[in-house]
Amino acid sequence: MPIEVINLSHSYKEGTPFEKQVLFDINLSIGAGEFVGIIGPTRSGKTTLAQHLNALHIPRQGKVLIDGLDTKDKQADLVSIRHRVGYVFQNPDYQLFAPTVGEDIAFGPFNMKLPREEIEDRVRKAMAQVGLDYKTLYNRDIFALSGGQKRRAAIAGVLACKPQVLVLDDVTAGLDPRGREEILTLIRELHRRQNITIIFISNSMDEVASMAERIIVINEGRVIMDDATREVFARIEELRSIGLQLPEVTVLIDKLRSAGFNLPAGALNVNEAIRVITAALREMEARK
Amino acid sequence: MELTKNITLGVYLPGRSFIHNLDPRTKILAAAGIIVLLLFTRSYSAFALSAIFIGALVSLSGIPTGYALRGLKPMLPVLAIMWVFQLFLFKTPDATVYFHWWIFEATDAGLHMGNLIILRVLFLFTVTTFLTLTTSVVSLTDGLESLLKPLRMIGLPSQELVMTLVIALRFVLILAEELEKIIKAQMARGVAFDRGNFIQKTRKIFPVFLPLFIGAFKRAEELIVAMDARSYTGGKGRTKMKTLHMGRADFMAALILLAYGGLLIFIIISTKPMI
Repeated sequence: MPIEVINLSHSYKEGTPFEKQVLFDINLSIGAGEFVGIIGPTRSGKTTLAQHLNALHIPRQGKVLIDGLDTKDKQADLVSIRHRVGYVFQNPDYQLFAPTVGEDIAFGPFNMKLPREEIEDRVRKAMAQVGLDYKTLYNRDIFALSGGQKRRAAIAGVLACKPQVLVLDDVTAGLDPRGREEILTLIRELHRRQNITIIFISNSMDEVASMAERIIVINEGRVIMDDATREVFARIEELRSIGLQLPEVTVLIDKLRSAGFNLPAGALNVNEAIRVITAALREMEARK
Repeated sequence: MELTKNITLGVYLPGRSFIHNLDPRTKILAAAGIIVLLLFTRSYSAFALSAIFIGALVSLSGIPTGYALRGLKPMLPVLAIMWVFQLFLFKTPDATVYFHWWIFEATDAGLHMGNLIILRVLFLFTVTTFLTLTTSVVSLTDGLESLLKPLRMIGLPSQELVMTLVIALRFVLILAEELEKIIKAQMARGVAFDRGNFIQKTRKIFPVFLPLFIGAFKRAEELIVAMDARSYTGGKGRTKMKTLHMGRADFMAALILLAYGGLLIFIIISTKPMI
């Protein structure tokens, strides 16, 4: 399901003295099955852009085409668009609102007016997918969940709608390392096994570098880079100048290079870094 | 989907106008005075004078008129319902009947009563909004505290009261933001808040309130912890970094208000009330 963003601009509080433009003439196209990372400093417009991608924001200027449907079109079925483009919010507390886990996850399918058995089935599957135990947690009070469990429940609530595109807004923030790794593994699997398009917003460059195939960098409401992950992280100085931290491995390799080691630039994850460093060490030894 | 756009009550719009620079006590007393006068206003000509006066104040403050009135927009449906109720249910024995429908009668008395109530609400809302638009939370607090200080002697915890009031005012905007987030979360999973007629939209609002209230309680608890962490102990022994001073501008403002008040009272006495 392709998504097309054409000349999109957006202002908050339009028509008031507090009006502030946050997106400037954005053009993007995201194809089916892609894994796209969106990065940028805080308040750069990432979330606003992402919320245009499932018609939570309707453009005033420019347009967004989701599977060919213009979200601006008064006749467009926005509800079906929002079911097909799932959105996981930055803070699960804003997303979970039903009293129990089961009810919350069933909220989406319930709104799709599916038959009862189908809803139950989807809830069970979604809980299994994110690793929440159906028996013990189905009737659990939402507020009795831990931070990590809340995240999972939030993701499950979206997965139960069977989206073809998943927009994830900084979903690993505030998780411990293990919880983080589990969520990331889940996202990778959704992309690989079910071929769901993933739009992954994150403030952690390490995560984006190791997950995304393509990266869109946003600064002050403008797309300043849109390229393959490796190409984007090769532009170290530019990224630094807008205040983004680089993936730790990239920084390490960069430091080794400037210290005179002969290494190729742009390693994106630990495994790659290990490979290039061992290769370089072997070469040095061979020369001796 | 932007709710906060239409909320102006409790919002402060910084500026350097004559009105912005007045002592907050002057502004609070003025607003209170204008509101009391409004409660006695019962004729169209007196309302017209108030409208001109308040309009002049707004333009003097440099706040865009459209923005000062924007907060009324979400209230319009409620006001319309109030007006219809008055039109059909308020009656006087000598009223002229416009038309009958089943057991309801629309009379001229009802029409004027409806108008009176709506005008009062509009003016009350505009005056209070105008006060918060031109006065920052800090000076509003200082002003109110200073005005209520004499009541301490009879045991009224004035500082605490003002604190509560100011927090309530602040929460208007915070709750609206929270509401927006909850609505978005429900929209994302298939509730069409932006589609349907007035009744359909109203019905969809109910499931939003539970999480909103839970969120509000959580926020309140966090606020308590934050206040405790900074050793808030109430008003006793507190000193001020900024002390308030009344100046020539405040004197002038008082004169203008007295002139307005006198003229308004004259009009109220000398004209025929609408009902």
